[in-house]
Amino acid sequence: MSPDSVPVTLLQLYPEELGVAGDRGNVLALKSRLEHAGVEVTVVEHRIGDSLPTDVDLVLVGNGPLSAMRNVYDDLFSIGDHLRAYRSIDVPLFAYGSGAELLGHSIALPDGSTLDGLGILPFRAERVTERAVGYISVDTPFGRIVGFEDNASRWILDPEAKPLGILEVGSGNSAGSVEGVLDAGAIGTQLGGPALPLNPLLTDALIGFVAARRGFDYRPSDVNATVDRYATLAREVILANAKHVFSRI
Amino acid sequence: MSKSNGFQYFVPVLAGKVVRAAAKIRGGGSAFPGYVTTSLAPNFLRDVTGQFRYGIVYVLGSNGKSTTTHMLTEVLRGHGLRVFTNPSGANLPQGIASSILAESTVFGRLDADIGVLEVDEAFALEFARTVPPSTVLILNTQVDQLYRFYETERVADMMLDTAQQASKHIVTNREDPYLSKIARRYADGDATSGPDISYFGASDAVIAGSPHGLFNATDYRDAGIEAGQHVALAELTDTDRAGATIAVRGEPVDVVLPAKGLHYAIDAAAALATAAIILGDDFSAASASAAFAAMKPAYGRGELLAFGNEMVEFVMFKNAASLQLNLDALPEPPAQVLFAIDEGTPDISWIYDIDFSALDHVDVITGAKAWQIALCLELNGVRIGTVEPDLKTAIDLMRAMPKPASGMKTWIVNYEIMMLARKQIGFLELENQR
Ligand SMILES: [Zn+2]
Repeated sequence: MSPDSVPVTLLQLYPEELGVAGDRGNVLALKSRLEHAGVEVTVVEHRIGDSLPTDVDLVLVGNGPLSAMRNVYDDLFSIGDHLRAYRSIDVPLFAYGSGAELLGHSIALPDGSTLDGLGILPFRAERVTERAVGYISVDTPFGRIVGFEDNASRWILDPEAKPLGILEVGSGNSAGSVEGVLDAGAIGTQLGGPALPLNPLLTDALIGFVAARRGFDYRPSDVNATVDRYATLAREVILANAKHVFSRI
Repeated sequence: MSKSNGFQYFVPVLAGKVVRAAAKIRGGGSAFPGYVTTSLAPNFLRDVTGQFRYGIVYVLGSNGKSTTTHMLTEVLRGHGLRVFTNPSGANLPQGIASSILAESTVFGRLDADIGVLEVDEAFALEFARTVPPSTVLILNTQVDQLYRFYETERVADMMLDTAQQASKHIVTNREDPYLSKIARRYADGDATSGPDISYFGASDAVIAGSPHGLFNATDYRDAGIEAGQHVALAELTDTDRAGATIAVRGEPVDVVLPAKGLHYAIDAAAALATAAIILGDDFSAASASAAFAAMKPAYGRGELLAFGNEMVEFVMFKNAASLQLNLDALPEPPAQVLFAIDEGTPDISWIYDIDFSALDHVDVITGAKAWQIALCLELNGVRIGTVEPDLKTAIDLMRAMPKPASGMKTWIVNYEIMMLARKQIGFLELENQR
């Protein structure tokens, strides 16, 4: 069961700059579930100027304002080859919001300029004037996931690319009735809340990618029962209240 | 004051007052009377407020507007000034217009020496064209209301642009990475005049003593620019459970705070810096101290309310910064805790950025976000008693618990829950008066 006693390494990119929307919660949810399953976890936080570890089992990046994206930009490009190398050996990825956009092809900004991305995720983003704010629900291959979206972005997927799921409530990619992008073990999404604590099935799917690659069996532990119950009830309330339109200006 | 006689306002003001009276009979205030008057007489607000000897002060910021407006108003009153101020939270242009109308004579007169207005940052720049400020106080920029503004620097720019509309004084936060750079907008920097720039702040020791600092937003846009050394007109040098010491032009002013928490002490420094720059030589440390000593706590900010034979201490928050600073201000983990958030705070993903180590447990979690909070606390290892989304039932559960040794129950709540909870325990009056 345990991955031959070598800990699982979670790599979180720019936890301050790209971590303004509770992205720490995604790391916490993964760590907690892995540890409950008897797997030792190491979390590596990558900051500007740090060097990357060679062995990484999952890469996470979160959301931040445009100024923060510009701030990490040079560092991100300097580690681009490392990140591409991880993907070439199927290291899974969970990217939320503007962190995901920096991993796409490009981001078209309101001033007419374009910010190039690393091209690791198969989509491009366009910042738009209309904001999408409120609860969101998406039917994914892993099951239904719910959360909160808050962005002013349109995500345009590459012709061959697959979305993370079909939109049930909310704006998602604001292009087609879909949300996010799913590329083998790599997920890009605008579903926050944060997503992983609220949706244990998505957390388990990511851990499943890690387990498959590392060659260990993963079965969620019974120790998660309380957390799972809270998550289920939180999701029920979110779905019930999803009709609320948050229109504070 | 442009035109001498006030007859031009007789009809529009009367119309506004009639609408206002009608709105009151229907129950509750309304911004509509302000709209009626301003559309009938667009110069009305400018002319009424233009009569004030010390002009108009805007209070802007991500957090603490109501508290600081209240503090500044009371300090100025403590110096003998007649102060006009808008009701707490009524900070949108029509709401402000409505309250100016309510206190004006039909001839467009309002007897006050100064106006102190809490203004919503999104509308402040536009409102400055109608009611030009003589002084603008900006409190802080926090990662807040991303659902409203998306980019933190957008909020900072709105406030900085508004500050530059001040005809006399800008007062701002030396410790805020965005706001402390305002002098860079002027060729003479801090020496600029018309408007001049003053700062409030906290000593290095005070900041170092705070577990999570001041929780102001990081300035990533101008991260490479050194903050610069600014002299603070009012500097917080010491704070404890009961109050704070703030050096104003180097002279220590002891203040009793209406609630504990570093952010309230900084708000007090902001109010004192603003009073000192407006009053000049007439500023008196003794009068300022006395004003703080007589001040009642604002709604939900450390307020104690009777709850049967016990007391409820309200700890109100509106964003990550205010929740964290309130938790940091708890002297020890409270014995009985209710924690509640409802849909009045749409996005609570930031609760995962909070350090909850100041709580060893929570007895009752309630509100529409109850299960989301429980999930976060459970993952963070905070012991949970009961999760009860219905507020009324949750309050009954708190009531049924034995009286704690402190005689006090701590309710950590967002604004909307605070208002509902007050009603539930029999405190019916509206938040309005300052
Ligand atoms: Zn207790």
